Amino acid sequence: MDLEQLRKTAAEVVVREDVKYLIGWKQGSYGYRVAPVFVEDASGAAELLFSPLCTANLATYLTLVEKTPLPRGQEADKRKVALLVKGCDSRAVTQLIVEHGINRDQVIVVGCPCPGVVDTEKLAEKYPEQGKPAEVEWNGENFVLLCDDKETELPRDQFLAEKCRLCRHPNPVISDITVGEPVEPWTLADDNGVEEIEGKNLEERQAYWEEQFSKCIRCYSCRNVCPLCYCQDCILDRLNPTWVNRAVNFSENTAFNIARAFHLAGRCIECGECERVCPANIPLGKLNRKMAREVRDKYGFEPGVDPEAEPFQASFKPDDPEDFIL
Amino acid sequence: MTDKPKVGVYVCHCGINISATVDVETVADYALKLPNVEVARTYSYMCSDPGQVLIKNDIKEHGLNRIIVASCSPRMHEPTFRKAIQEAGLNPYYLEMANIREQCSWVHEDMEEATAKSKKLVASAVAKVRLLEALESKEVDAEPAALIIGAGIAGIQAALDIADAGFKVFLVEKTPSVGGRMAQLDKTFPTLDCSACILTPKMVDCASHPNIELLSYSEVEEIGGYIGNFDVKVRKKARYVDFDKCTGCGDCAAECRVKDRFPSEFDQGMGKRSAIYLPFPQAVPAKYTIDPESCLYLTRGKCGKGPKCQEVCKAEAINFEQEDEIVEFKVGAVIVATGFDPFDASRKPEYGYNDYPNVITGMEMERLVSASGPTGGKVKVFNGEEEIEPKEVAFIKCVGSRDASVGNEYCSRVCCMYVAKQAHLIRDKIPDANIRVYYIDVRAFGKGFEEFYDRVRRENVRYIRGNPSEIFKRGNKLVVKVEDTLTATPLEDEVDLVVLGVGLEPRADMREIMDLLRLSQSPDRFFLEAHPKLRPVDTATEGVFLAGCCQGPKDIPDTVAQAKGAASSAMIPLARGKVMISAQVAEVDEATCRGCGFCVNICPYTAIELVKINRFGHEVEVARVNEALCKGCGSCSAGCLSDSIQPKSFRDRQILPQIAALGVLK
Ligand SMILES: Cc1cc2nc3c(=O)[nH]c(=O)nc-3n(C[C@H](O)[C@H](O)[C@H](O)COP(=O)(O)OP(=O)(O)OC[C@H]3O[C@@H](n4cnc5c(N)ncnc54)[C@H](O)[C@@H]3O)c2cc1C
Ligand code: SF4
Ligand code: SF4
Ligand code: SF4
Ligand code: SF4
Ligand code: SF4
Ligand code: SF4
Repeated sequence: MDLEQLRKTAAEVVVREDVKYLIGWKQGSYGYRVAPVFVEDASGAAELLFSPLCTANLATYLTLVEKTPLPRGQEADKRKVALLVKGCDSRAVTQLIVEHGINRDQVIVVGCPCPGVVDTEKLAEKYPEQGKPAEVEWNGENFVLLCDDKETELPRDQFLAEKCRLCRHPNPVISDITVGEPVEPWTLADDNGVEEIEGKNLEERQAYWEEQFSKCIRCYSCRNVCPLCYCQDCILDRLNPTWVNRAVNFSENTAFNIARAFHLAGRCIECGECERVCPANIPLGKLNRKMAREVRDKYGFEPGVDPEAEPFQASFKPDDPEDFIL
Repeated sequence: MTDKPKVGVYVCHCGINISATVDVETVADYALKLPNVEVARTYSYMCSDPGQVLIKNDIKEHGLNRIIVASCSPRMHEPTFRKAIQEAGLNPYYLEMANIREQCSWVHEDMEEATAKSKKLVASAVAKVRLLEALESKEVDAEPAALIIGAGIAGIQAALDIADAGFKVFLVEKTPSVGGRMAQLDKTFPTLDCSACILTPKMVDCASHPNIELLSYSEVEEIGGYIGNFDVKVRKKARYVDFDKCTGCGDCAAECRVKDRFPSEFDQGMGKRSAIYLPFPQAVPAKYTIDPESCLYLTRGKCGKGPKCQEVCKAEAINFEQEDEIVEFKVGAVIVATGFDPFDASRKPEYGYNDYPNVITGMEMERLVSASGPTGGKVKVFNGEEEIEPKEVAFIKCVGSRDASVGNEYCSRVCCMYVAKQAHLIRDKIPDANIRVYYIDVRAFGKGFEEFYDRVRRENVRYIRGNPSEIFKRGNKLVVKVEDTLTATPLEDEVDLVVLGVGLEPRADMREIMDLLRLSQSPDRFFLEAHPKLRPVDTATEGVFLAGCCQGPKDIPDTVAQAKGAASSAMIPLARGKVMISAQVAEVDEATCRGCGFCVNICPYTAIELVKINRFGHEVEVARVNEALCKGCGSCSAGCLSDSIQPKSFRDRQILPQIAALGVLK
């Protein structure tokens, strides 16, 4: 990745009259951390980064921005927002367009073809995080860890994030400006990412998820980080009626997690963010991936690839062979 | 809710419909102990006048402000009780019905269990009724005009009735002429009036009536809006003939370079027509039409040195530049009168319709015996070798009806009688013919039908009970293989002509209309009426009515009766000039709606659109419900992730306590 080109492109974008800011990644304060950055002027672009550590899906910020009440007479800022995206992130943007979460003409998508990111947890297991920031780069074949003037080659198949192992769209599916050359999509892993769970019988599955959901502390990080959980008022927070009680126990946690999984069926674009941020290490990806596989196999639908698509959860055919419709 | 709820519970015996299985007194006693219940009574027929008076008096005496009637399904009597409590000064939507008949007494046998279930149903109604909100019904203006789709006898009759009552009618017919199937018939059973003689005057009337705008050779493209206010868009297909200039002289068709080359639709393909044609001599309007599929000029861009029709038309009416025209208008009601398709006989290959020219359908027979038909009314058939007057004639009934193997379990209701009629006409024309009718049953149910059937039998027409298994050729004869099931004799009858008494099927293109108006089909695939007995001309879409064979097979008298019924129902909103809009519609919480539009896609009545609103200075999109279109079906609510759209009276916070009271939820 040519960082100079990225920064130059970004600088050109942010100085535009019609652009409010550009959302990108920058180096974090320690270890393998990478932080989001809102670049408002050309000088800020110098901080931008795109590396195998840039796992975060910045599309979340498009809907996270709070629209605080404006004093009477004051015009809302209608300038566009520019955004750096990997393949998966671009699918989130696409899905948001499909759902009217954002307007296509309100965003400038700066696409970064993505050779795959590292699983920082696996990395930290082998090479513990240090107080100062470390860098990771792509070298064509593998990842390279740069730390203390030392270069360590990290075999790709060992450190590649699970979502990337199964990634079908490493090149952004929409972009206004592309930085860098498209990558060659790789041969997908033989398994579909949920085979292990599918191999279990019902009792085993129950036991597995009981153990997992019991760990949930209901911090709602998974929901908050999800680019597609952007309801004004999430029903899982409601009191009248109360769909999910406040109590943190297996039953309520399960209701929460299953409700969210259903709300994301045909919408989740498999960016893996929920699983990455979960402090309880619940394998949420398995849940979402299972739903995504079902939607793809049974209905031939893949969310976030076509901005013109009808939203999956809201599409039906009056002549559907199943007679429960109409 | 301002007042403390005071609930009255009325448990109905429904004669013995409920009380034979449910101990209604126990249910009432139980209800009295439920929270907020002030009065609980039983009565033999709650819907009767004294039953209603009971409720009204209690409202006045005890100050009740919520009413529960534990009786039948709300479908029939919810309006009855709403009206009753409204008359007593309550908001009509402060009513809840507990269905202890269809959902309890009728489906259970054990009294103890049925009583226990009724108690739960009442408890759950009490849980909900306390949370109901007062709603106001609204009225909107209705356009004093009607749209009628299809101009067969059903559409024509409905149009004439509505137009005579003084309302504007737009009559849309797909083909170049009005008349439908009836125009193709020769005589009509059971009275044997000549079809053309009784139909033609009506056809002419509907073209000349000052209140009827006839849009022939046209199709409805779009219908939006709702009862009282439908927005209609019609495509008038190009005839390539100037409607106003054409005098109907027919010089064009006589001179057409492909004169009489194409099978005439009207003559069931037995006669021929030119590329420019009038479907039949009495066609209305009497204007010629160029068939774009057979015209040389339109298909190949060239017709001799120049189109012949253009050359010979003295009125200079031919216009190849003509294009489809879109007409838009507003109506208050719609009548669907699109008719039927005759059963396609090639779907019964054992009868050899595709193999033998002397196996024909009942529809073809109508043209063959008609004086205006392809043979001038002479019954002549080609038996594969020569043209003969058939002396041995066989009719087979129920072809494509009452036959699960072709997916039609229903009886087509006209075949028994039209076969009898055609047998009579053959007897008339070929006195020495040997006529046999193979039947499963003879259904002569209508006025004058049995008498007519008797008469035909006395004319020496042999009725043989048996369903032929096969027809094959032997020499220059056709052999009908059948077992006479009354005498258990296998027969192989040799005949010259076989007439298949084909049934009536839903039109192959009915989907277009279903999609336009969101209509449903009954199991027989014809259009579904709102209630088989009490609302036979209404549909689930308010303001849309059915007439004629599109709703199910029927003969002309029944078709006309239904058309008159549909016309009078359609005139109700037109005459009132106003329509009532249900208050139980979906409502959007604009503060939480995220404007995703899922509900817009989901709503089967296209009642929702996204609109821009100002939310504290920011322009955002939210859903908005058109209350006149919304049916309160709740589909939108099921699709909304954040519960931002909810049908009034069926909000989550109203129905969850109701479900909880059943003991399903804690
Ligand atoms: C062989 C045969 C013999 C019969 N003999 C007798 C008899 O002797 N006596 C008797 O009482 N009954 C008889 N019937 C029954 C009679 O034909 C019907 O009762 C009658 O034709 C029904 O009229 P209709 O207006 O409902 O339908 P149709 O006659 O089918 O008219 C429907 C009209 O709607 C038009 N249309 C369809 N779709 C559209 C669209 N999307 N847009 C615009 N226009 C459209 C069609 O072109 C047609 O003009 C016979 C039926 C058959 C098959
Ligand atoms: S999922 Fe695909 S696009 Fe997303 S980080 Fe992994 S490889 Fe890149
Ligand atoms: S559910 Fe998880 S993987 Fe799916 S889009 Fe949301 S954050 Fe990404
Ligand atoms: S969990 Fe459902 S309701 Fe909550 S934010 Fe996500 S999509 Fe919206
Ligand atoms: S992030 Fe993990 S712990 Fe937090 S609410 Fe989600 S699943 Fe539960
Ligand atoms: S589905 Fe719900 S959130 Fe989406 S537009 Fe409709 S009401 Fe609003
Ligand atoms: S309740 Fe039914 S008809 Fe009404 S807006 Fe919702 S989906 Fe449409």
